[in-house]
Amino acid sequence: MAENILVVGGGPAGLHSAVTLADIGANVSLVERDSFLGGNPKKFKYKFLFPDMQPADDVIGELIKRAEKNDGVKIYYSSNVSNFKENEKKFDVTIKSPDASETKTFDSVIVATGFEHFDPARDAKYSYQLFDDVIDIKDLERMMGENNFVRPSNGQPPKNVAFILCVGSRDRHVGNQYCSRVCCTVSVKQAIELRERFPDCDAYIFYMDIRTYGFFEDLYWKAMEEHDVQIVKGRIAEITSGPNNTVICKGEDTLLRGPFEIPFDMVVLASGMEGGPQSSEMVDKLGLELNEHGFLKPQNVTLAPFKSNRKGIFLAGACTGPKAISDSIVEGGAAAMDAYIYAVKNK
Amino acid sequence: MALKEQEKRPVAAKGEHIIARHLIEDDYIKEEKNLVIDGVDVSGRWNTFIFSRVNPKFDRSFFSEIKKTVVGSRINRCWQCGMCTASCTVTPLHRRFNPRAFIYMMQLGNMKELKKYVDVAWRCVGCYKCSQRCPKQVNPAEMMEALALVMKKYFPEEVESKLKVDEDVKKIYEDMILGNGRLDLAKLHISSMRKMGRTKELVDRIEGGAVLKMVKDGRAFSLLQLGKPHGWKKSRQAIEGYLKKVDTIEKN
Repeated sequence: MAENILVVGGGPAGLHSAVTLADIGANVSLVERDSFLGGNPKKFKYKFLFPDMQPADDVIGELIKRAEKNDGVKIYYSSNVSNFKENEKKFDVTIKSPDASETKTFDSVIVATGFEHFDPARDAKYSYQLFDDVIDIKDLERMMGENNFVRPSNGQPPKNVAFILCVGSRDRHVGNQYCSRVCCTVSVKQAIELRERFPDCDAYIFYMDIRTYGFFEDLYWKAMEEHDVQIVKGRIAEITSGPNNTVICKGEDTLLRGPFEIPFDMVVLASGMEGGPQSSEMVDKLGLELNEHGFLKPQNVTLAPFKSNRKGIFLAGACTGPKAISDSIVEGGAAAMDAYIYAVKNK
Repeated sequence: MALKEQEKRPVAAKGEHIIARHLIEDDYIKEEKNLVIDGVDVSGRWNTFIFSRVNPKFDRSFFSEIKKTVVGSRINRCWQCGMCTASCTVTPLHRRFNPRAFIYMMQLGNMKELKKYVDVAWRCVGCYKCSQRCPKQVNPAEMMEALALVMKKYFPEEVESKLKVDEDVKKIYEDMILGNGRLDLAKLHISSMRKMGRTKELVDRIEGGAVLKMVKDGRAFSLLQLGKPHGWKKSRQAIEGYLKKVDTIEKN
C-alpha cells in the first residue's frame, strides 16, 4: 500500500513537495486555506521573479499545473486542519473543507504554511494607508502585474520614486530584528522595471545595507550601472505630505551627515516577511515550536533544517524563515525526501 | 570673584553660546554683533539665527550632465565603499580632499556642499591608485577631473579667488607636454624639490641611493631614451590648438 502523506500549504514549497512525493508513488493530500493554489506569489499577483525576470506564471503556474494534473495529489481547497492526533507514529488528521469534513491517517506530514507580508500600517512612521502615494512592494508588484502603474492619487505617471528598504525588518520597534532577505533584491528589481517603463522617472533607494546576496548582486549592479538607480544611505524616519501632492521623506544622509527632506511623487516600502498567524496555528494544532522571530523552529537549523521538533512532521519553505521562491522550492523537495523516508521506515 | 571673570570675557564669537557649536558651520549661523530693533537692543546672542541644514532636494540634472562627459561617464556606478579615499595619496595631506564624498555630492547634485571644497577639489595628483583599487571601475581619478570641470563651470568666482595657478609649475608642465609629449617625472620631481628649497635631499642617502640603483640597473638610461609618442606631430598641433582656444575663451 502506498504511503499517505499530508502537505499543509499550497505555495511553492508545498506544491513542489506534493508533486515530488506523488512522483515517487505516495498518496498526497494537499490542504490549502485559499480557494486557489500558488500561495503568496499567486495571491499578490507577482509579475516577474528575480533574478532572471522570469514571468511568475512560468514558475508558479507550472507548479500549480503539475500538482493539479498529478493523480497522486488530492487537493483540498479552502480547507484547514481541524483535528490532529498522533497515533502510534502515524497521524489521524481531520481536514475541514467548506462542504465536508474528512478524517484520514497519514504516515508523515509536511508543514509548508509560508509567511505573511509585514503590514506597513503597523509602523506609523511610514504613513502607509494614510497617503495614497505610499505603497509597498506587494502593491507595486500587483500594479505592475496589472500593467497599471501610475500614481494612485491622480493616475499620472510619477516623476520620482523612493524605495525604502528594511520596512518591518531589522527594527526592534516593530518587533522584527531579523533581515527578510529578499526585499533588497525585490526593490532593485522593481526599480529596474520602473526605469525601463518610465525612463524619465528617477528612482532612489534608501538603504542601511543592500543585501542582494549571492548572484542577486548582479541585479543590484545592473540597477545602478544600466538604469542609473541612485542609492542613498540612510533610513527614513518620517513620511509626511508635501506641496503639489507629493510625499516628503525625512531622513539623514549618513554619508555626508545632515538631514534631508525630499519630496517624492511616490514611495515604495520594502515590507518584510513575518511568520504570520498560520505559524501560531500550526503550533497550537500540531504541537510545533516557534522560534524567537515568530517562525516555525526546526529541530536543528544546520543538521536537520527540515525536521520539526516532533517526529514525523517536517517543515519546508518560508514557514521557517524569510526565503526566496527558489529556496522554498528546493526545500519542498528536500522535506519531501525526509517525509518519505520517515513514512517508509514506520510502515 | 565670578563677576570679575565675567567682566574680563572678550566679545562673544559668532554663535558661541550654542551648545554643540562644533556641529554647525559658520555659514549656517546668522548673528549681528550690534542690532537694535524698535529701540530695543538685541545685540549678540539675542538675534542668533540658525539656518535650516535640511537638504530639500536631489538634483539629478547635474548627474546627467556629468554622465555625458567622457571622464565622468561612470558616475552611476559608485556605491560609496570608500576604497578611493582609503587609497588616495592626497587625502593624508589634505583631510578635506575626499573623492568618495565628492562623487556622492555629484550624484545627488549637492552643489551647496560641493562649493565648500573649491579650494581642495583640485588637489588630485593623478596617481590613479583609486582607479586601480575601485571595485566598480568607477575610475575616480578621472571623476576628479569631472569635478574640476564642474568647479570651473559653476563656481568661476570662487575658483578665481581661491585658486592661484603657479606660473612656474604651469610652464614646466607645458614645456614637457609640448616638447616631448610626456611628463618627465624625474625632471618634475627635481624642479619641485628645487622650488621647495630641498635640493640637498636629492643627493642624500634615500634619494641619491635610489638614483644610484637606477643607474646601476639601467632604468635611469631608459628614462633618458624615452621617445616621443606615436604620431606626435598631429597630437601636438591638436594640443596647441586647444590651448589657444581655451586661452581666447578665458580672455573673452
